[in-house]
Amino acid sequence: MSVEIDTRPIWLLIFLKAVRPLFFLLMGLAFLYAVQMPTPEGLTIGGQRAIAIFFVCLILWVTNVVPLAITSLFAIVLVPLLGVLTQKDTYSLFGNEAVFFILGAFILAGAIMHSGLSNRIALNIMDRFGGSPRKLLLSIFLLAAVLSFFMSEHAVAAMLFPIVLEISKSLGLKPGKSNYGKLMFFALAWGCVIGGVGTFLGGARVPLAIGILKETTGASIEFLDYTIAVFPLVIIMMLVGYMLLTRFFPIDITGVESARQVLAKRLKGLGKMTYSEYCVGAVLGLTILAWIFFGRRFGLATIALSSVVMLFMLRLVRWKDIEEYVNWGIILMYGGAIILGTALDKSGAASWLVNGAIGKWATSPWTVFAIFSLLSIFLTEAMSNAAVIAILLPVSIGMAENLSMDPSIVTYSIAVPAGLAFMFPMSTPANAIAVSSNYITVKDMVKGGFIMCITAWLVFNLVAAYWWPLIGMGYSK
Amino acid sequence: MKKNYLNNPGSLKIDLMLRGIRIDDPLVKAWACGTSGVDILLPQNTLVNIPCREEFTKGSPYTIKKRDGNYLITDGAEEVPVSLVPRPEFYNRKTTTGVPFTSIAVVHGSYTVITPSPRCDFFNRSIECKYCAGNFDVKGSSNVTYTVEEVIETVEAVLKEKASEIIYLSIGFSESDDGGISFLKPYLTAIKKHFNCLVAVEALPPKQNHWIDETYAIGADSVLYNLEIFDPELFEIICPGRASLIGRKRYMESLEYAAKIFPNGTVASHLIVGLEPPGSTCMGIDYLTGIGVVPILPIYRPTSSRALRIEPLNAEIILPVYKHLYHAVKKSGVNMNWVRDISMVTTPIEVKTLAGDGASKTTLVENFYKTKIGIKAAWGLSTLRRKLRVKGSKDPSDSKH
Ligand code: SF4
Repeated sequence: MSVEIDTRPIWLLIFLKAVRPLFFLLMGLAFLYAVQMPTPEGLTIGGQRAIAIFFVCLILWVTNVVPLAITSLFAIVLVPLLGVLTQKDTYSLFGNEAVFFILGAFILAGAIMHSGLSNRIALNIMDRFGGSPRKLLLSIFLLAAVLSFFMSEHAVAAMLFPIVLEISKSLGLKPGKSNYGKLMFFALAWGCVIGGVGTFLGGARVPLAIGILKETTGASIEFLDYTIAVFPLVIIMMLVGYMLLTRFFPIDITGVESARQVLAKRLKGLGKMTYSEYCVGAVLGLTILAWIFFGRRFGLATIALSSVVMLFMLRLVRWKDIEEYVNWGIILMYGGAIILGTALDKSGAASWLVNGAIGKWATSPWTVFAIFSLLSIFLTEAMSNAAVIAILLPVSIGMAENLSMDPSIVTYSIAVPAGLAFMFPMSTPANAIAVSSNYITVKDMVKGGFIMCITAWLVFNLVAAYWWPLIGMGYSK
Repeated sequence: MKKNYLNNPGSLKIDLMLRGIRIDDPLVKAWACGTSGVDILLPQNTLVNIPCREEFTKGSPYTIKKRDGNYLITDGAEEVPVSLVPRPEFYNRKTTTGVPFTSIAVVHGSYTVITPSPRCDFFNRSIECKYCAGNFDVKGSSNVTYTVEEVIETVEAVLKEKASEIIYLSIGFSESDDGGISFLKPYLTAIKKHFNCLVAVEALPPKQNHWIDETYAIGADSVLYNLEIFDPELFEIICPGRASLIGRKRYMESLEYAAKIFPNGTVASHLIVGLEPPGSTCMGIDYLTGIGVVPILPIYRPTSSRALRIEPLNAEIILPVYKHLYHAVKKSGVNMNWVRDISMVTTPIEVKTLAGDGASKTTLVENFYKTKIGIKAAWGLSTLRRKLRVKGSKDPSDSKH
């Protein structure tokens, strides 16, 4: 095992070691105080305890001192322990549809990746449409976005990364210096981020948000309705992204011949399309159709899980192949977030909290929408998008009810911006993967990402104000 | 005028090591029989191993006598009370595999030296150090290597009897990049796993620094890369193996790097007094203290077949070197409390009594580190420091029994 000796001053090492226990001690004391203090006016005892749990989880989710999933488990333990919800209610919330939808989506994405279908689609598209530097760039950008409509954006970024890296190397692009190198990796990261908000499948955050919405209000959002609502945002952001990138980093190469050779070689290596690729593709196609046409009737999770069962019945995948694609941590995290959200709502803590915190400014549905979408888009730069939803959504739903707003609109105001993380590598794995190429620096990402963030927030608010009324959606119930 | 060293334990230790002692008392003779010298406790708890069998000791003015049941050392004119360090009881016993404990371990005051494989490949290439006492199975003919279990049994016997507090693992040269640390690793980790004691390692400088990191990480509390001779030319002549296969430069680099990794005062190097001019030894002292290393000064014991000693050599000539040692260590801020109370060599703290200007008073800290709690505290601090500093490796004391 390789050994590294930390030669920093010993007092600093002791201090750093002491920070963690000290942090937990202080947090524990603050938690005890929050639970024991006299209940504020307008709040129930259950609400007071739910808020205490919420703040503990908020701190742990933001600081990431323990894994996100473990914070969720902590919430699951504390909620029944402090009597906010009964044990039976708490654990039954884990059986939420969203949790099983996410599980199904993980397995479906795993099957596509394992079969090699996603890789083949990516290579074919780049090979067919990437005839010039501009076209190759566009095909990477669009491909990342379109694939992220159907599978997790993280998985898309991870899948495309080696291909894009090989292309950059074959073109002789110098890391950190070449504009075209930067462009390709930005196209990869931003394509995934923008495409990821296009459907339920780009990330698990939308299903999580819908899970919380359903548990607290009984309302829901359908697969197709969601996509129609956000599609203009996706299109506009793709255009803005492309313009911004090519303006910031003008294309500095003239030909892509060597890249085409790489793609051709990789494609050749894949051989002809296999039976399992055809079948997995067909199952996925059927699943998407079923979500669109029968989602309301049968439920998204039921459809996803039926497809999973079909995959195994047809022997297209084995459990061993799929296991590595299923992120159990995320599933635990989502279960906990739903429980916490419900606890805040059922105890009346959510509306009490929002009224106290931003009640003065949030006087109209429009300002509520603008404030929450802004909070969401900036918080997601610094923390996990699922954590943003877990923190903001329960309180925003509480506020929506006070202002007679449609709770599903508030859900959009948080779930969509929570996916639009452009600024930092730690904001989302797609950014981290792009920066790891060394073609993009963190400074590059912050500069371009900040403009994208502001633009995305403005566009999102404009889409809500002008597009949604046209499709029958409005701020109020 | 004849100098009298009897009233200062520091100078007496040096003079005794230089000139040896004559033993008439049959009891003491029996005690010293078969060992390299006789371990005596001088006033102020100054421990010394005095040569008594070599030819040169016959001319020593010092003799040891017994009067009214007490021992004293006299130079014929004056005398000073001393006590014999009792022979450890475990010396009479064997391991369960039948190896006499004396073959594995030798007690030298606060340190017990354990040599798991008493061989040095310099001998096989005829490039051994010219002064080498040959305690090593030079040609490796019998190829003895004690097992980890045998070494653990020995350490247990040492610690149970409280014969010393620090285990000193040593190894001769072998053709490897690591200076022998991979060979010592299972012994070191086993000792750390079973006992709460400090362990010093005497090895050859490894080729790459990461082995020094490894030495610290696996549990060594102190490390010694013994340069022995500071003068470059004499180093090549007297230590041909070290000079040609390791190089003086690598010794210095390793020591300098180790001083940054190990706690202050736990990296040491021997400079043998009597094999090079005193001025050269003083330069060596300055160099070593300048890089944060504790110089330890043994005195060369000539034998009839290996008369390498510079002449003339007497206490008057070498005492200034020891005074310089104390002042240089003090000035450089290197901690003197770790390396101390070793009968075979003279450590900086022991020559404090020579330094004058009030330095001879022992401080509270020095006394504390000699107490039972002090030893435990030293072990605890060393272990804590390792836990804080080592990344990517498990502390050996963590491993489950
Ligand atoms: S390194 Fe030199 S002193 Fe040590 S055992 Fe080998 S020859 Fe002897």
